[in-house]
Amino acid sequence: MRAFRHITGPFLALGVYLALASATPLWRAALGALFPDETRILYPDVTPLGLVGQHLELVALSSAISIVAGLALGIFVTRPAGADFRDTVTDLSNIGQTFPPVAVFTLAVPLLGFGVQPTVVALALYGVLPILRNTITGLAGVPATVLESATGMGMRPAERLTRVELPLAAPVIVAGIRISVIVNVATATIGAIAGAGGFGAPIINGLVNLAPAVTLEGALLAAGLALVLDALLGGIERTFARGRQSEDASLTRSR
Amino acid sequence: MIAIRDVSKSYAGSERAAVDDLSIEVPAGKVVVLIGPSGCGKSTTMRMVNRLVEPDSGTILIDGRDIRELRPERLRRHIGYAIQGVGLFPHWTVAQNVGVVPGLLDWDRERIAARVEELLVLVGLDPVEYGRKYPHELSGGEAQRVGVARALAADPPILLMDEPFGAVDPLTRDRLHAEFRRIQDTLRKTVLFVTHDMDEAVKLGDRIVVMRDGRLVQHDTPERVLAYPADGFVASFVGSERALKRLSLAPVTEALGPASAADGCDCSVAASASLREALARILELGAPAVGVHDDHGARIGSVSLETIVERFRRPLT
Repeated sequence: MRAFRHITGPFLALGVYLALASATPLWRAALGALFPDETRILYPDVTPLGLVGQHLELVALSSAISIVAGLALGIFVTRPAGADFRDTVTDLSNIGQTFPPVAVFTLAVPLLGFGVQPTVVALALYGVLPILRNTITGLAGVPATVLESATGMGMRPAERLTRVELPLAAPVIVAGIRISVIVNVATATIGAIAGAGGFGAPIINGLVNLAPAVTLEGALLAAGLALVLDALLGGIERTFARGRQSEDASLTRSR
Repeated sequence: MIAIRDVSKSYAGSERAAVDDLSIEVPAGKVVVLIGPSGCGKSTTMRMVNRLVEPDSGTILIDGRDIRELRPERLRRHIGYAIQGVGLFPHWTVAQNVGVVPGLLDWDRERIAARVEELLVLVGLDPVEYGRKYPHELSGGEAQRVGVARALAADPPILLMDEPFGAVDPLTRDRLHAEFRRIQDTLRKTVLFVTHDMDEAVKLGDRIVVMRDGRLVQHDTPERVLAYPADGFVASFVGSERALKRLSLAPVTEALGPASAADGCDCSVAASASLREALARILELGAPAVGVHDDHGARIGSVSLETIVERFRRPLT
């Protein structure tokens, strides 16, 4: 299947990552070899694979909300009905991007409390921004002549959106989703301070208990997941972009 | 037939109306060219016919029916539309692009495929080679052919064309013009065509409507626009070479004199040539006249400077 050639590699990498994460004895041996003097080698409460599960749950839930909200809001403000809100939304999302992730949690915990749910809400809010910005950019980048001919051919607004605008904006939108998810994997580690578990739990546990092996366990798992997801979403991005690599060239020619 | 009646349109923030009490008819099977400088309202006028722009007042009828009776989308699916930027969908193949409107009209797959093939052949593109190409793989001229094929896809009786042959080199443009005329001679669509190029208007139009500041300045046959410009504006717009443009409209047979010994060289022009070509040949030869031959090579007469001048002196009806 040529269409999937960009994502077979990343899927293999994901399989390797999960296989490694499930090999708890391997972790014990490797980290034990690195830190021969340490007594605390692994995070005591949860296995590495269990941590992956907790972390993925946080990322999946919050990213799903971010994607739906970012797409919906981005589409709304680029329709005639929502055009009035476009500048405000763009400004807010740009300002929001300048917030460091740690600050998001420092604000979220007093407002939303502890646990998985507030962490997901905070992550989702933060993760909306790149998706929203890229959805607006992507939809705004659809050439005027293409929109004009779609309308002139007799496409209804919904047909035009789903068949022309979204497919053409897809590479930019997926790039936004990629950024959002990767930032989310990193930010979700801070969720441990809100008691949400995930890779942040061993990192913080190791720091508090002066157990560098435990911290390294969480850090390695987090870095690995970020790399694998980045490759996977990068592959999806390229899949969406196929068939129109030199779109810009055809545009300059037709002007 | 398209009938535009007393139509006006103003845009917010502009003092002058974009289109000011305009009435035009496009007879069935004819090409009416709207021409004028940028901002004269020609594109706005055209875009009101498929309701991309709604007029402030006035009515537009297609075959006697007010276009406001139909939902805009349904109306547009029965009006072919080709624009300057072409606006091919970059994520679809040529075949998918041409099949858009038939698809919107729920034609079945085989019928769309057959129609796409037929149209690509009509516009001079090999369906097997071009059908699966993407727009970025096409040259400017090829993209414009596909644009025309797409406009014709659902066999609409009416075509709206806004500088569809705009951004290509002169040679390609000439070829596209010739093919447009050939296609129009077979299909006999009712065409409203917008351009700012008088040569194009003269070549393609059955009638020319010259517009300025949203108003109609002259509505006439191409030859009469060239021969009798309504005012100084039209005269300057058609240019100082309008007599030569008129020559290219008239076939040599309209200024045919008897064959004479004086034109007895073997460099005669064909009966299908224009007077412009005949004049060019006369100048090249430095001779007083040039012979005219028919399709079989038989001499049927000659054209001289005198007969050309004579032809120009006759008043046009």
